[in-house]
Amino acid sequence: MGIKLEQRHLFGILCVCLAASILVDVLVKFHGQAEAQAHTAFLWQTIPGFSAIYGFVGCVLIIVVSKALGHLWLQREEDYYEKH
Amino acid sequence: MIEWVHPGLIFILGALLIPVLKGRWKKIYLLLLPIAALIDLLYMSTSKGVFWRIPLLGYELVFGRVDQLSLVFGYVFTIAAFCMTLYALHVKEDGQHVSAFLYVGSTLGVVFAGDLFTLYLFWEVMAFSSLFLIWYRKTKASSEAGFRYIMVHIFGGICLLAGIILHVQNTGSIAFNSFNWGTGWGYLPSYLIFLGFIINAAVPPLHAWLADAYPEATITGAVFLTAFTTKSAIYVLIRGFSGVEILIWLGAIMAVYGVIYAVLENDIRRLLAYHIISQVGYMVCGVGIGTWMAIDGSIAHAFCHILYKALLFMGAGVVIEMTGRSKFTELGGLYKYKYMPLTFWLYMIGAFSISGFPLFNGFVSKTMVVEASAMAELPIVWLLLEGASIGTFLHTGLKVPYLTWFGRRDKDKEPVVESKTEVVKEPPKNMFVAMGITAFLCVFIGVYPQALYGILPYPANYNPYTVSHIIAMSQLLLFTFVAFWLLRGMLHGTPTITLDTDWFYRVWGKKFIWFCEKPLISFADSIDEKVRRIADSFVWFSKNPPVASRIMMLTVSTVFLRPFNPNPLYTRYANDLEELRKLYPAEVHRLAIGSGVLLVLMFFILYLIIYLTYGVLWV
Repeated sequence: MGIKLEQRHLFGILCVCLAASILVDVLVKFHGQAEAQAHTAFLWQTIPGFSAIYGFVGCVLIIVVSKALGHLWLQREEDYYEKH
Repeated sequence: MIEWVHPGLIFILGALLIPVLKGRWKKIYLLLLPIAALIDLLYMSTSKGVFWRIPLLGYELVFGRVDQLSLVFGYVFTIAAFCMTLYALHVKEDGQHVSAFLYVGSTLGVVFAGDLFTLYLFWEVMAFSSLFLIWYRKTKASSEAGFRYIMVHIFGGICLLAGIILHVQNTGSIAFNSFNWGTGWGYLPSYLIFLGFIINAAVPPLHAWLADAYPEATITGAVFLTAFTTKSAIYVLIRGFSGVEILIWLGAIMAVYGVIYAVLENDIRRLLAYHIISQVGYMVCGVGIGTWMAIDGSIAHAFCHILYKALLFMGAGVVIEMTGRSKFTELGGLYKYKYMPLTFWLYMIGAFSISGFPLFNGFVSKTMVVEASAMAELPIVWLLLEGASIGTFLHTGLKVPYLTWFGRRDKDKEPVVESKTEVVKEPPKNMFVAMGITAFLCVFIGVYPQALYGILPYPANYNPYTVSHIIAMSQLLLFTFVAFWLLRGMLHGTPTITLDTDWFYRVWGKKFIWFCEKPLISFADSIDEKVRRIADSFVWFSKNPPVASRIMMLTVSTVFLRPFNPNPLYTRYANDLEELRKLYPAEVHRLAIGSGVLLVLMFFILYLIIYLTYGVLWV
């Protein structure tokens, strides 16, 4: 096709997607408020952008907590079981 | 009369012919067997019921319990077996194919088993046949991991057997249906059977065998391993323990546990193995919730998981086949080599599926279980399961491709695979065809979920493609990507291993063996020694009893007289003792034969007197 996707193009597409996912959510939630409430079981599902925040924070938490667990406790050198 | 055979039998008996065929005919035969089994299943689906009953010892064995639940598992196992066999078509060693087919066949046996004895029989065959898929790798690590694998599975099998025996004693029937569940010793049979099942389902803390053994298996064998043991365990859990509440929590914790361990993993297949544990957590959780939607969700998730996990392991397998390496510290920058882009994209279809991208099969199955938890009003469970999704995408969709196919951004680390000539091995093409078919199935089910929903046992009034689901999932995945990109420096592989619950039996097991070999054996040896000494002293005594008794008397006397030293009696005794000991065994005093005869005669006369006077003079 001849279109070269440079890094800044990709970055731009990413930002558009991120923004779109939140905007569409806001629109949907405020447009059909009543039916949205009926479908959801939990309170937080009515907040627009909840999954975005949960995704971001969750990812950070998983990485940080797991790395901490590894460094402080669980990780050993590769021949640990031969030596012990 | 039924015209069809048990599909497991097709695989098990078919396996026997594999060594006989050669070359192209063998390959055609290998592919035909799963197809034949699938056609067989389609015939079986037309008439549900209970077949192939065999009376045994007063009980009735049921080999063919055909209903929608067992059929759906039968379908996915057979379809997967076809793809995996195609993936393994290039393997020359017949034993690997035979083991794989025995494994598949016994799994089908478990799925259609209607009674507990049949279940147990096939359960054990599964364990042993899968063991060989690990051992065929023929490395030191794989033989050790295989031993640990089979030890754990033998333990699980014994628990299962104990539970079955107690259950049969209590209820008198060997039918395999829902087990009673409650608290108290009366439910011990159920607990034991439950324990046997959850070991195979790799529920923590009894899960370490999976992450320990699967990465050490052969490249093609590991693909087989991912599907059958854990998913048949889900099937039996659905049959026997659906709705048991503890499974909800075990499942939710499992889902997160696998994800946390996967962050720390350096080996590509071990990371994927922890993700098996994570995804099976969703299924276990669904079984625990027990509603129709939840059970359907578990089954759908099992169906999809078999396909995409096989695809992921196939992709990783191609990487290992081509480079000979499986650790992230040794991989990177592979994208530019021939066949790697193809592998990458096929792998990514599996990664998108497992992460639950819309249009891929994970989205239509995983969200069902999550929705079931919402409907059952379990907020913590919902959060845990969604959280596990984040981690799943992070690892399989982002970390693995990043560290495997794309180079590390730090310029000071030289690219790990140096020259074109290092990636020497051209991978067999059948691997890619297999991956392609599996990928197609993943996308097909994702785009047309009704194909899967139609064969689920309970009516699934679930539409995954609602606006709110798509938005929620898109947000989750996009923002996870953002977080990954910002923190990607923290995710590089480290040359370490992570301790898991197998630490207990690996370290304490070694200590126990040391205890048996050193302290226990030296204790046994010392007892042996003492007994031997006592026996030796009897032998010494018997050589010359009169002299020996004199020696003993002298020894006693000298001991008594020693405090009174100097004493002429003592010194005389002591000297005599020394002499006697030196001369021992001295000449045995011989009696003339007449004296011997006289002694015997006297003994008999004495006996005669006692006999005659018995009852008269004394009683």
